[in-house]
Amino acid sequence: MRAPQFMMPSQFKFVLPLLAAIALLAASTAQAANAKLEQIIAPAPHSTADHSKFKELNREFKNGPEVTKACLTCHTEAAKQVQHTKHWTWESTDPKTGKVRGKKNIINNYCTSPVSNENDCMACHAGYGWKDDKFDFKAEQNVDCLICHDQTGTYRKLPGFAGHPVYKRVEFPHGSGKFVEAVNLKKVAQSIGMPTRSNCGSCHFFGAGGNGAKHGDLDSSLQHPGKYLDVHMDEKGLNFYCTTCHATSHHEVSGSRYDTAAAVKGPAHIRGKQDASPASCQSCHSNKPHHEAMLNQHTDKLACQTCHIPEYARNQIGTESSWDWSLATQMGPDGKPMAYKDSAGRRAFDSKKGKWEWDSYVMPEYRWYNGYSDYKVIGDKIDPSKTVHINEVGGSPNDPDSRIWPVKVHRGKQPYDKVNNYLTVQHTAGEDHTALWHNYDWQKAIAAGMKAAKLPYSGEFGFVDTAMTWPITHMVAPKGDALSCAQCHSKNGRLKDIEGVYMPARDSNRWLDLIGWTLVVLTLFGVLMHGVLRLYASKKKG
Amino acid sequence: MLKVVTGFLVGMAIAALLIYKLAAGMMFREVPSQFGMEETVARIQQNVLHAGNGWSLSGLRNAAKPIEMSGGNVLPVMMIEACSTNYSAPILKDDSLRFLSNLMPCKISVYKKSDGKTYIGLMNAELIGGLFGSKVGDIMAKVAADQAKFIQFDASQPAPAMIKNAPAASGGSGAAADGGC
Repeated sequence: MRAPQFMMPSQFKFVLPLLAAIALLAASTAQAANAKLEQIIAPAPHSTADHSKFKELNREFKNGPEVTKACLTCHTEAAKQVQHTKHWTWESTDPKTGKVRGKKNIINNYCTSPVSNENDCMACHAGYGWKDDKFDFKAEQNVDCLICHDQTGTYRKLPGFAGHPVYKRVEFPHGSGKFVEAVNLKKVAQSIGMPTRSNCGSCHFFGAGGNGAKHGDLDSSLQHPGKYLDVHMDEKGLNFYCTTCHATSHHEVSGSRYDTAAAVKGPAHIRGKQDASPASCQSCHSNKPHHEAMLNQHTDKLACQTCHIPEYARNQIGTESSWDWSLATQMGPDGKPMAYKDSAGRRAFDSKKGKWEWDSYVMPEYRWYNGYSDYKVIGDKIDPSKTVHINEVGGSPNDPDSRIWPVKVHRGKQPYDKVNNYLTVQHTAGEDHTALWHNYDWQKAIAAGMKAAKLPYSGEFGFVDTAMTWPITHMVAPKGDALSCAQCHSKNGRLKDIEGVYMPARDSNRWLDLIGWTLVVLTLFGVLMHGVLRLYASKKKG
Repeated sequence: MLKVVTGFLVGMAIAALLIYKLAAGMMFREVPSQFGMEETVARIQQNVLHAGNGWSLSGLRNAAKPIEMSGGNVLPVMMIEACSTNYSAPILKDDSLRFLSNLMPCKISVYKKSDGKTYIGLMNAELIGGLFGSKVGDIMAKVAADQAKFIQFDASQPAPAMIKNAPAASGGSGAAADGGC
């Protein structure tokens, strides 16, 4: 039996091969485009230099500064560049007032201040040996190259070592029975590469002494994130590293909460053109990224993050929502220090530090924000009868550079000088007799902290409510999970407290409503009267 | 006569409409929790463990997880699975009632809603049990009484730890002998 044959008119015989060719071309173009995209966004898998082949690195190192010296034999300008960055100085200058801010100068409502606690806090400094105010900020060998460039995942800096990794096996935490092995500096030095999410995360995921505690949109789940958690960092998808957006030049990392690009306008970034705000969404997406014009109209008032980060801390790691220092030094029923965790295993109370509250899958609060934040620095006066805002985000509905941003607000209760009316610096970490976590004596701890901060202390302290505001910008959800219209356009929607904009369905005008309803009633009355009259007329005829 | 029939039919229609509108709300309950997600789960788990009457935990499932794995987001939903062999055994022994194993183990869901608050979702075991005759109705009335105790919290007690590795936590009920129904 012969198979049936399909006849095709001769004029169409070229159609099938043509379609096949188009399909092949489209597929190969798409493949090439994808490959190009991966090339742009994925970090280079292999450097052009194999650092294990460098004789400068092929030896044993006694300490971190020795490694840095070896790095600088080739990378001659690297340390100088780092020394101009916030990662090194822990300072930032307020562009409006000239006030010097930065981690070194503000008192936050987490661990409060690194002043007098450098030995612990500098575990997150990109340097070696900052243990007091005598630290040499100009010594190039003090720059820690490895904390950002280690690719072995074995380089750890622990509190209590002034920014050094451990060179000998140590028990950590002290008395815990757990040990941290000495770092193999040779192996680490030979491994180095561009910073990965783990490098940045070693500090930024664990700020304030706990996973996810500080930021809310940064925690260890971003080391291997799924698409749901961050559509850009999705390990099986776009696989962005932090540096993909936080493009770096001369070791200066772009994008900072001290100077945020809150309202970037114009088209997407064009290769070769200087980009002032490479870490912004608009840098790639432009400020009119939607197909629907109605959605694009929103970008004049809303930050991208407002709709595209519906919740932050979207995992059970969660984030800290408050820290109450006033309960620190409170002992257990047996009179000894106590500590306990919450139901999810996160720190909840410690006699050393006070009480914490946590939340996960958190709905942000919303603020007008123009990228400027006014920070309180050490010695700034406060009004203890009100909540003290550690930072106040700038912006208003009438400011063309302001957008409505999602924020995390971290609430706290922390010590202040009752006579001088400023927040106090306290010496918390350490084994000396003035350290709060050693002797549980607030007076001694504050006196030592204030002395280190070179501020007078009256000897009288109290506790004041504080708040700190953190713009949310990571954990961008897939577009299908962005906020729906009704989540804002409703009486009790997400933006119910935002002033200065008229939002249909949230807002109403009494007169407009009155006129509208009057017209509706009059129309109904007219229809009714018309019906009655026609009924009457037909009965009269009949 | 026509008036009587019409009245009867209208009454039937109204009753049907009322049942249609109210039945869903009667079969399930939603209760706001004063605690966060994890603490609510942990406190319910503790209440189950201390409830007596043969109750044990048979699993803890995060219903949002599969959606996350497929790349989407929903607010968290934790399903606490609990079982009492005192109540399940008489039903499972009866061939005519074994199909009710579909309702086992007893599930209590704890979830967050868009208002940022935590809620507890429960099945109205008494009402549903009553639909299957007196034997099931009696058992389910006891289940309902115990369920009511599961969600009574003593805020003066410290937050217990959430039991993540309850028997069969990864796969739901049945994997572990002491936890499954």
